[in-house]
Amino acid sequence: MKNIINISNFTIREALSRKIIVTFFAISTFVLIIFALLFTFVPFEDLSGMVRSNGSDPINIATEIVKGLKLFVVAPLFGGGLFLSIFSASSFIPNMLEKGVVDLIVSKPISRTQIILGKFLGGVLIVLINIAYLIIILWILIGLKFNIWDIALLSSILTITFTFASLYALIILVGILTQSSILAMMLSYIIFFVLSPILTARDTISTFLNSSLMEWIMDILYYIIPKTSELGSLSTELAMGYGIDEYQPILSTFIFLVLVLYISIIIFSKKDY
Amino acid sequence: MPNSVQVENLTKIFKAKVSGKNGITALDNVTLAIEKGTIFGLLGPNGAGKTTLIKILLGLVFPTSGSAKILDTDISDFNIRKKIGYLPENHKFPNYLTGEDVIVYYSKLSGFEIDKKSPKITEVLNLVKMEKWRKTKIKKYSKGMMQRLGLAQAIIHDPEIIFLDEPTDGVDPIGRKEIRDLLISLKNQGKTIFINSHLLSEVELVTDKVAILNEGKLIKFGTVDELTVNKQLYEIKTDLPISTELFRSLIENYKITQKENMISLEISDNSDLNKFLDELRKSSINIIGVNQKKSSLEDTFIQSLTEVKN
Repeated sequence: MKNIINISNFTIREALSRKIIVTFFAISTFVLIIFALLFTFVPFEDLSGMVRSNGSDPINIATEIVKGLKLFVVAPLFGGGLFLSIFSASSFIPNMLEKGVVDLIVSKPISRTQIILGKFLGGVLIVLINIAYLIIILWILIGLKFNIWDIALLSSILTITFTFASLYALIILVGILTQSSILAMMLSYIIFFVLSPILTARDTISTFLNSSLMEWIMDILYYIIPKTSELGSLSTELAMGYGIDEYQPILSTFIFLVLVLYISIIIFSKKDY
Repeated sequence: MPNSVQVENLTKIFKAKVSGKNGITALDNVTLAIEKGTIFGLLGPNGAGKTTLIKILLGLVFPTSGSAKILDTDISDFNIRKKIGYLPENHKFPNYLTGEDVIVYYSKLSGFEIDKKSPKITEVLNLVKMEKWRKTKIKKYSKGMMQRLGLAQAIIHDPEIIFLDEPTDGVDPIGRKEIRDLLISLKNQGKTIFINSHLLSEVELVTDKVAILNEGKLIKFGTVDELTVNKQLYEIKTDLPISTELFRSLIENYKITQKENMISLEISDNSDLNKFLDELRKSSINIIGVNQKKSSLEDTFIQSLTEVKN
């Protein structure tokens, strides 16, 4: 375990030195400043006062505003957070596998499994810290403004980190196979922005295609690749305080994560460097 | 003396990337043993398999067949690497780290927990003459400084065996001398040192045993003396240069050259040496000394490779 922690610590250190965490932090802070300004200068009180004069309950009005805010905020947070996370984590493995770098790591008394798990843990922690910073401060700002301390919003920390973890496992695998950060990044973006939304809507698409082969291919692909699109919707639903209707996207994405990480470890453990 | 490294019938064939069929034989049935507390030099032309051998011993490359042990432990057990230090050729440290960060990072990876305040870091950086640069980011280091730092990270955890791949690459002559002195001092502490180098004159100065690899095959193995001694060449020192008449009579039967009072004799049989000495004595020549002539390690190396080619 000590070896895994050492490797993950230095992955975080690498991210710090390459200004990945600082950039993440700066973007998050910029978003938070916009919200702080919005809460300061937009007269939400007038709005609730106006509604109160009409006989509505002011607490309900505030609750509705917060709900609207969440609806407005969580989806971009999910998409933007993952976009940045994939971008920042795609080079961790190719950098480590560079000639002259890998020799110094693999020749140490650390198993190759520990190296990959350390890199995985480090990458996930970087994203967790950054997303947690953004969402917790946003939650505090909303709480201070509307006096509503609904912890449902905090669930986005977990959903975004979990979705990133599934894509990061794929980034690790592609990194080991090709040592190309660009390819790893592109593949993740294709899954996130193209494949997963298409496959989520496969039933609708199938009615237009009218091909059982395509239907079959899409079904298989749907169950194989991480369901980032559905996890995005789930993220919003959880933040709104709704429960989880279907566990299948979480479960199958988790299986994908474990399986891909396992394959990465197997391949890395057999490769000559 | 017990062995630090034991290699038996080690073969490595790198498969062709596209076809997957057998490609390059980097090591071909190599067997060797390195005694504890000695400095061993592995020589060979480019592509001879030197780095592959080191990489197999360190778990970077997997052998196709054969076995190897380090300190009586099979190399597949990664825990043995706690007792190993390694300086790879053309190593790259993360350039955002300072010298002391590098030492802390790699010592932790070697299972040796230290922090920046540890006196061990000061001691090791002093040994490689890098103490005053410890807080400088390594992106500002020269090649020679990187080598010194690499050496420091290889010895920080007090390993029993140290593998050095081209340790003096990019180091100036004074630095090379300092590294040689350090290696001898490490050897005197009982450590085994495995050097892979192109600089044969340097290897000759510090190694106890050397091996020559060519096209993956071990073609010579022994002490520097054993390998460099030329059994057919003798130097005979006389008190005075021999006369021209005597030289002419001797040259009819022997392959000789003369330079002042030193005669070089090339023989094919040991009995010829005694016959030649008898003839000198018969002519009342005072023999001061007889020495078997030694080649340089470089000459031996080139000669070995030529023999293999022929």
